[in-house]
Amino acid sequence: MRARVVSALVLAATLAGCYILRPSSGGGQTDFTPPRKLNAADVALPPGYRIEVVASGLTFPTGVAFDAQGRPHVVEAGYSYGEVFTTPRLLRIDGSTPVEVARGEKNGPWTGVAYANGAFYVAEGGQLQGGRILRIAPDGRITALVEKLPSHGDHHTNGPAIGPDGQIYFTVGVATNSGVVGEDNFQFGWLKRFPQFHDIPCRDIELNGHNFESRNVLGDGRANTGAFVPFGTQTRAGQVIKGQVPCSGAVHRVSPDGGQPQLVAWGLRNPFGMAFGPDGALYVTENGYDDRGSRPVWGTPDVLWRITPGAWYGWPDYAEGQPITNSDYRPPGKSRLQTLLAKHPGQPPKPVAVLGVHASANGFDFSRSAAFGHVGQAFIAEFGDEAPTTGKVLHPVGFRVVRVDVTNGRIEEFAANKGDKAGPATKVGGAGLERPVAARFDPSGNALYVVDFGVLLQDKQGAKPQAGTGVLWRITRG
Amino acid sequence: MRKVLLAAMALALLGCQSARRGEPVIGPVTFSEKESRGQVLFDRHCHKCHTHGEGGLAPSINDKPLPKFMMRLQTRVGMGAMPSFSREQISEEELDALLEYLVALRRAGR
Repeated sequence: MRARVVSALVLAATLAGCYILRPSSGGGQTDFTPPRKLNAADVALPPGYRIEVVASGLTFPTGVAFDAQGRPHVVEAGYSYGEVFTTPRLLRIDGSTPVEVARGEKNGPWTGVAYANGAFYVAEGGQLQGGRILRIAPDGRITALVEKLPSHGDHHTNGPAIGPDGQIYFTVGVATNSGVVGEDNFQFGWLKRFPQFHDIPCRDIELNGHNFESRNVLGDGRANTGAFVPFGTQTRAGQVIKGQVPCSGAVHRVSPDGGQPQLVAWGLRNPFGMAFGPDGALYVTENGYDDRGSRPVWGTPDVLWRITPGAWYGWPDYAEGQPITNSDYRPPGKSRLQTLLAKHPGQPPKPVAVLGVHASANGFDFSRSAAFGHVGQAFIAEFGDEAPTTGKVLHPVGFRVVRVDVTNGRIEEFAANKGDKAGPATKVGGAGLERPVAARFDPSGNALYVVDFGVLLQDKQGAKPQAGTGVLWRITRG
Repeated sequence: MRKVLLAAMALALLGCQSARRGEPVIGPVTFSEKESRGQVLFDRHCHKCHTHGEGGLAPSINDKPLPKFMMRLQTRVGMGAMPSFSREQISEEELDALLEYLVALRRAGR
């Protein structure tokens, strides 16, 4: 019996491989020689569905929406990780050549777009001037409904989604990975521009006073940094950080006429995708923690949440509704994490679905058409991992569209590249998908449009996005 | 003992089929009621690391011919970076369903 157990362990170890010894093999860890090749036949779909290219040559597209005539409009971000600034634009996809409807300022990334009441609403990420929610009239005039949102950091102002109440819902991602400004934020680029920037809680919080030592990237020697304070600032046990709105890691809403944003829910890390479900509730995809920075967290998934107004979702001390002190989240070779908050604002809810670690589950929509199928299920675009910057992976994660049954959390692959291995076309060969960043049904519900950000390579120095490689795809049935 | 180790190496070498099992790649797969329950449990507990069973943060498992008792052991005791799962997290009945699903998924790739 003992020999059987030993043999079993040896066999399991042999077959499982050793995580520690194996190198990272993320989807972005590859090469690219332009131009990007496209062939819809290289994308695998369930029987009965077909995919086609609607537009190509886009630069960092992030969202799609449809005007009153049902014409697709795409936003180009105007900024990408890798510190590449371009011009944010709203484009009408009408024929083979996109038509520019509006162009924004150097304050990207524009992370998404919605259409309602005869106008487009755009979430402007706010790398340089802070986040904004923009209203764009059909003639291209831009009006800011909200300005100076705290999104100069790792994550941005995201959304928006139009609620059943007519309000504009949007999110603000957190500035850091897990609450502490560190060297990783310097590598992102924003810490040089905004050395005083940090996460802002939505309500008053009391700290445990943990400080984290790092290289002093803004000066000489070493630095000690606490949570929810600028780089190089220490905190003490019992210290209270005043909450304010707008804030980091939260869902907000604002009237279509503008005004002061209201808090809807908080404690979210990077709530990126937003959609209202058939039950009228708001659902949000959240990008989980990374294994980076002064307080790295390992093995935390992206999740799909059903948003309960007023609830706290756990960041920076919970992941997927579980305490971050759980040994599962301890990076290999490092100590178990400690909580930053002395008292937690509540018990986080359970997620609707638990997606892949580093999948970057982003924009999504619910099917409402029997002709398309899977009515009531969420179709989620997975941008794909950004390993090794965000942490090591053994295989590419994401780079596809999945569908989720929100009644039981089942996740099914829906659109992905063909081949023996999954990943972006630049990694696995062929001329199919790269990085799906948003998925939205057209007004009929019979066509699913998938926004493909394009090629974004990754190495230890960070992201290397490739302008002009973005694509808008369309999936139909029958 | 030596025979088991040799078998282990042979099985490891055999594990070179594609791990992909998604509907777009291999077509629809019909699962039993128990296997379907196992899928829900897999998606809750395992999918995040062994994404779609193809691997991601962690290795692929769809293409590894591990017997059920070994998968059960690994789930309960953990191994390397893989955490262990207690009976409070996954009951014996649930683990049975989960393993049935994994075996069915592996078989679906042939």
